[in-house]
Amino acid sequence: MKILLAEDDFASRKFMDKQLSQYGECDVMVDGEEAVDAFMMALDDGEPYDLACLDVMMPVMDGYQVLKAIRDIETQKGIPKSERVKVIMTTALNDERNVKMAFELGCEAYAGKPIDMEKFEKVLKKLELI
Amino acid sequence: MAEEFNTDSMLSMFLYESYQGLEKLEGIILEKQDADCFDDSDINDIFRIMHTIKGSSGVLMYENITKASHKLEDVFYYLRESHPEDVPHMELVEKVLAVSDFITGELDKIKAGNEPDGDEKKLVEDLDQFLGELKGEIKKQGIRLPKANKQEEPTQFYITPVAEEDSHFYRIVIHYKSDTQMSNIRAYSATYALKEVAEDLLYTPEDILSNESSGDSILAEGFHMLLQTKSSKDEVMELIDSSEAETIDFEEINKTEYGKALVEFGREAPPIVINLEDDKAAAKENKQAPITPGDYVVKSKETGKGKTLAKNQPKQQAVISVNVEKMDALMDMIGELVIAEATVLQNPDLKVPGLDLTNFQKAAAQLAKNTTELQDVIMSMRMMPLTNVFQKMRRIVFDVSRKLGKDIEFEAIGENTEVDKNIIEHISDPLMHLVRNSVDHGIEDSPEIRQANGKKAKGKITLEAKNEGGKVYISVKDDGKGLNKEKLYNKAMENGLIGDKLMSDFSEKDIFKFITLPGFSTKEEVTEYSGRGVGMDVVVKNIQSIGGRLDIDSVEGQGSEMTLVIPLTLAIISGIVIQVGEAPFVIEMASIKEFISVTEDALIQEPGGEEFLVLRGDCFPFIRLCEKYDLPGAKTKLEDGIVVVVEHEGKQICVLIDKILQEQEIVVKPIPSYVKKVKGLSGCTQLGDGSIALILDVGGLMIEEERR
Repeated sequence: MKILLAEDDFASRKFMDKQLSQYGECDVMVDGEEAVDAFMMALDDGEPYDLACLDVMMPVMDGYQVLKAIRDIETQKGIPKSERVKVIMTTALNDERNVKMAFELGCEAYAGKPIDMEKFEKVLKKLELI
Repeated sequence: MAEEFNTDSMLSMFLYESYQGLEKLEGIILEKQDADCFDDSDINDIFRIMHTIKGSSGVLMYENITKASHKLEDVFYYLRESHPEDVPHMELVEKVLAVSDFITGELDKIKAGNEPDGDEKKLVEDLDQFLGELKGEIKKQGIRLPKANKQEEPTQFYITPVAEEDSHFYRIVIHYKSDTQMSNIRAYSATYALKEVAEDLLYTPEDILSNESSGDSILAEGFHMLLQTKSSKDEVMELIDSSEAETIDFEEINKTEYGKALVEFGREAPPIVINLEDDKAAAKENKQAPITPGDYVVKSKETGKGKTLAKNQPKQQAVISVNVEKMDALMDMIGELVIAEATVLQNPDLKVPGLDLTNFQKAAAQLAKNTTELQDVIMSMRMMPLTNVFQKMRRIVFDVSRKLGKDIEFEAIGENTEVDKNIIEHISDPLMHLVRNSVDHGIEDSPEIRQANGKKAKGKITLEAKNEGGKVYISVKDDGKGLNKEKLYNKAMENGLIGDKLMSDFSEKDIFKFITLPGFSTKEEVTEYSGRGVGMDVVVKNIQSIGGRLDIDSVEGQGSEMTLVIPLTLAIISGIVIQVGEAPFVIEMASIKEFISVTEDALIQEPGGEEFLVLRGDCFPFIRLCEKYDLPGAKTKLEDGIVVVVEHEGKQICVLIDKILQEQEIVVKPIPSYVKKVKGLSGCTQLGDGSIALILDVGGLMIEEERR
């Protein structure tokens, strides 16, 4: 599985990278714009990501913008719903409003930090990624 | 329940909504328990509540809740679509309550920070069977079965953050050897290593890399770190490079200490949030300014500073959660303000003759008005309706009456009455006890007995709350057998609770009061719900601890009424300041009947030294405060002083005082613990001139007087 990880905080990034690497190849980005670029590039190369883990608070573009951009790009390219990248937001911002908006923007899961890796794995199974 | 709170707002929203839904559900069920069936709107409501709970528990991945609620939703789906007749109503009610109890239990687990691990299988099987019968019934009635209720698997999930209980908190101080080169780089590598396992990591000095001189302070004061992690001490120690370290102080601390330490490290402690909001407030909350993508773009970091958001969100919250401690502090401060106000307005300096105080008086009136309003606002912030408490009672009546096989109608009046939050916490248990007692002991054991006495077969229990004159009255009334005075008297006698006094020594109310004596229970056999002989005395103790009382009224054969009378609020009362000798006292306004001037003729002295006053043909016990508290210089002749008639629980006594000083809002303070407990005094307060006045406890005085 190909994984995109966007996270600007070093400690979190290191932790997530280590965790996610057991499931597949993990590309690590440090800001929102890079994440969108990487997503586009992978799409162009015909090797799209299966999973994207997006932090919310990031430089240049925040996680919600990245999510929206990703979904917009997919819509524009006519990618069917079943083949779209699965997005999990990873953030300490877990206000109900934030979560709701993220769901409306079309993420598959929203993980509050510190992340419960057991449940995280459960979600990956439910999303049929592993 | 443990005072657990969850900082995760999704989770608390889920809990809040689900509890709310279940409460509403129970409300519907209990209201319609005696009807033949649910009507369409009930079915719709229940369906929707279950649907919501199913949906949100699915997102949060609480599978047992999802399954149970889904099954019940299914049942109601068929009811809604097919409108079958002859649904076994009582069975259905029980099923719904079973599910509701199951989910409540699981929610409680989640609330306490545990995994909801209850097994739903049995419940689901039961429901399946019920549903099967229901479907059969529907077919038999020739109604076409609707399409199966398709369950959509949730496609979006929410992963709740790790419960912080699992985390360890450490305070680590590394002292490097005094000749260590580049200690700042060593410190940095320690933080770098720890980042791998850290959930949160703070250290001072902060600017270890960018500021070379930080090395000196590390050498001098040591390198301090605060770490939140799931790793154990050993795992953490392994990560820290200890080659150049002289000592490493390693200390595991608890969460509270960690919070405090965070403040020392210059970061604010996580706020402790306790939700005070009610439904209305929650509805309002949704009107906050919407967030949009792009609100959380982080500005590039400046060295040594935390993250800042590019767009600094204006927070327009209609509702804020406030720490209860802060509310209490605010309340205290208002108390102090009231005292300070009195100190200014009644300042002795103002009594200099010949001062023109016209403008001062105007300003003073304004100030007084504002403080009173301020007080009212703060009081109202602490007020909550009794709705939830009443709902609980409804459920208790239902449960207990079903278990005991009694048919009882429950009526609630005035559930919107508002009471101070602190008081609600204190009355819930006592009230529950009273209600259980009414169901168990009050209502007759069988409808036949009732009918033989010319009553309706169905018993009735009325719970009523009202707000009158600064007090809240909550009464539990039943139309059952009532209290038998002789039985009570005999029982009290048997248990040796009243010595050898005759029945005629007691008034009706006194005899009813026996049931509140410790170790008294008239019911021969002990039931599951009441009659253990503990209880009523605990009820009374609880109520008294918040300054309330229990009134008991009963007519044998017709029923009993237990009324809790509780002060609306605890902190500020209005009172009259009086003086005896040199000492000022305060008497609560509500207990004063009248001030009267009497002559010595009215006084009767008994040989035992007891004194009574005859006022307009009635005889009252008489107390001289000056003698009781040994106050020199007080007036001893009745003609010179004033007699106050005070009332408590329907009894009156007369108290001799010297003079009346003024009326005042009194902030009740407890008598400090280093003062020996004095009977007849309930607290103290500060007066306008700064002196301390003691507050007379009228009830206490009376008990004293009776004992004599």
